[in-house]
Amino acid sequence: MSDVLGTSTTEQNNNVVFDRIGMTFQTDAGATQAVANVSGTIPDGKFVSVIGPSGCGKSTLLDMVGGILKPTQGSVSIDGELVTGPRRDTAMVFQEDSTLHWRSVLDNVAFGLEIQGVSKVDRNDRARRMIDLVGLRGFEDHRPGQLSGGMKQRVAIARALAVEPRVLLMDEPFGALDQQTRQFIGRELLRIWERTQNRVLFITHDIQEAVYLSDEVWVMSARPSIVKEIVNIDLPRPRPEGTHALPRFRELEEHLWNLVKVEAEKTLGPGALLA
Amino acid sequence: MSTPQIAVKTKHLGAGSVWRRPTFVQWFIIVALLVVLEAATRTGLIVPTLMVPPSEILTRLASIVPTSEFAEDATRTLTTILFAFAIGVAVGIPLGVFLWRIPAAGRILEPFIVTGYAMPTLLFYPILLAVMGLNAGPIILIAATMSLIPIALTTMIALNSIKPILHKLANSVNASPAQYYLKVLFPAATPLVFPGIRLGFIYAVIGTIAMEFILAAQGIGFRAGLYYRELNVSDMWAYIVVVVVVSVVVNGVLTWLEKRIRRDML
Repeated sequence: MSDVLGTSTTEQNNNVVFDRIGMTFQTDAGATQAVANVSGTIPDGKFVSVIGPSGCGKSTLLDMVGGILKPTQGSVSIDGELVTGPRRDTAMVFQEDSTLHWRSVLDNVAFGLEIQGVSKVDRNDRARRMIDLVGLRGFEDHRPGQLSGGMKQRVAIARALAVEPRVLLMDEPFGALDQQTRQFIGRELLRIWERTQNRVLFITHDIQEAVYLSDEVWVMSARPSIVKEIVNIDLPRPRPEGTHALPRFRELEEHLWNLVKVEAEKTLGPGALLA
Repeated sequence: MSTPQIAVKTKHLGAGSVWRRPTFVQWFIIVALLVVLEAATRTGLIVPTLMVPPSEILTRLASIVPTSEFAEDATRTLTTILFAFAIGVAVGIPLGVFLWRIPAAGRILEPFIVTGYAMPTLLFYPILLAVMGLNAGPIILIAATMSLIPIALTTMIALNSIKPILHKLANSVNASPAQYYLKVLFPAATPLVFPGIRLGFIYAVIGTIAMEFILAAQGIGFRAGLYYRELNVSDMWAYIVVVVVVSVVVNGVLTWLEKRIRRDML
């Protein structure tokens, strides 16, 4: 471990590095270890997805990168700097609707910039560009209440992108959407990501989605979670609509499914998935 | 095949009929009530020691309202109400935030506050009069107490009902405490707090008028009480009408404000 930290400083300067990170929650029932000893690197410009059985601490991992949870063991660093709290160069998108219902779409998208103290002219200008990027032009003055679930998630994505994050953290952002909207927004996200080229850490429990979007898929084990395997997704980019039908896609999907199945059975009991 | 049936039903009352408009029906009820009261008082069905004809109340009003005495009474009552309400808001909202922020304090204090809500606080009025003297002080104190309780409770409930994801969002963008309160918590809570503020205002009005009625040196409630005790029925009713008009106007303003806020916020 120490030679990784010692020898590859230049490489590390453009990476998100997890160094033996762990999280133990103190509850009434005692200590619960949600995440144990996760090490890994998200290289610059890479799209990394994390999959694993439910309750395996995927969201905990993401919250630690976002600086809203402090790890109890180890550390996370972004571009060589230790994460000690929420940073300006990270932005989060959640599964639940996190739009502010009293604000217009424009003011929602500009929210992160407003908190950072960016002037009204500048932030509206940037917010408008993000609204264009996520395909919501014409809805600037609408309230979230007038939008569909998929559109609200686009607002949340635009808000995250508006601060021009170097790391985009997405916690099952399409989890609450229907299958069609999900695939459509997934394609949109790829298109946007190909333009912005920032790092993405994407939590999902949808294996197909993980394969389609990612450069790497990290499979987490059941609690206490470690990264069990890092699967390199060697599908060519850009990935057009037919990508799902490629034999290699099927292979990767099956491989990941087998990995996840073993872990899910540990949580749910053997044979649970056969019933 | 339900559509033709609905069409028939609509036709029954007439699509454009004035009777389908609530405001028209409401005004009709008011006018009808006045006519009935006028008739009942004039025929002696309601004896003059209880009520005089509405038309007579109106003529009394017309001569009372321009006097300087009325202006002083009205000013006293309105300033008392506004003071009590201002204290209710200034204490009630921070109290509600405190009860929400420190849940243990909330659990301990909530029964006391709810009891305070149910208790007729005005029973303490004579004691306060003895301590503070016959001025607006005791009235403001009691009306403010009555006013702050619903404001504090709804503030706490509104803050508790904010979706946890909004706290997480504020945290993730690294909002300062001031930004967190001003840009997330208060706007999110406002539509739910407003009914409590409205109730707080109504309580300030009720508290003020009721205590003036019991004992005071000045004020609209005091005049109504004075004429009640002097058996001056027409002047007593004139002041009751003033109270009713003030309540209706205030309620109208609050309803309008609430609608505006809800439209802007939701």
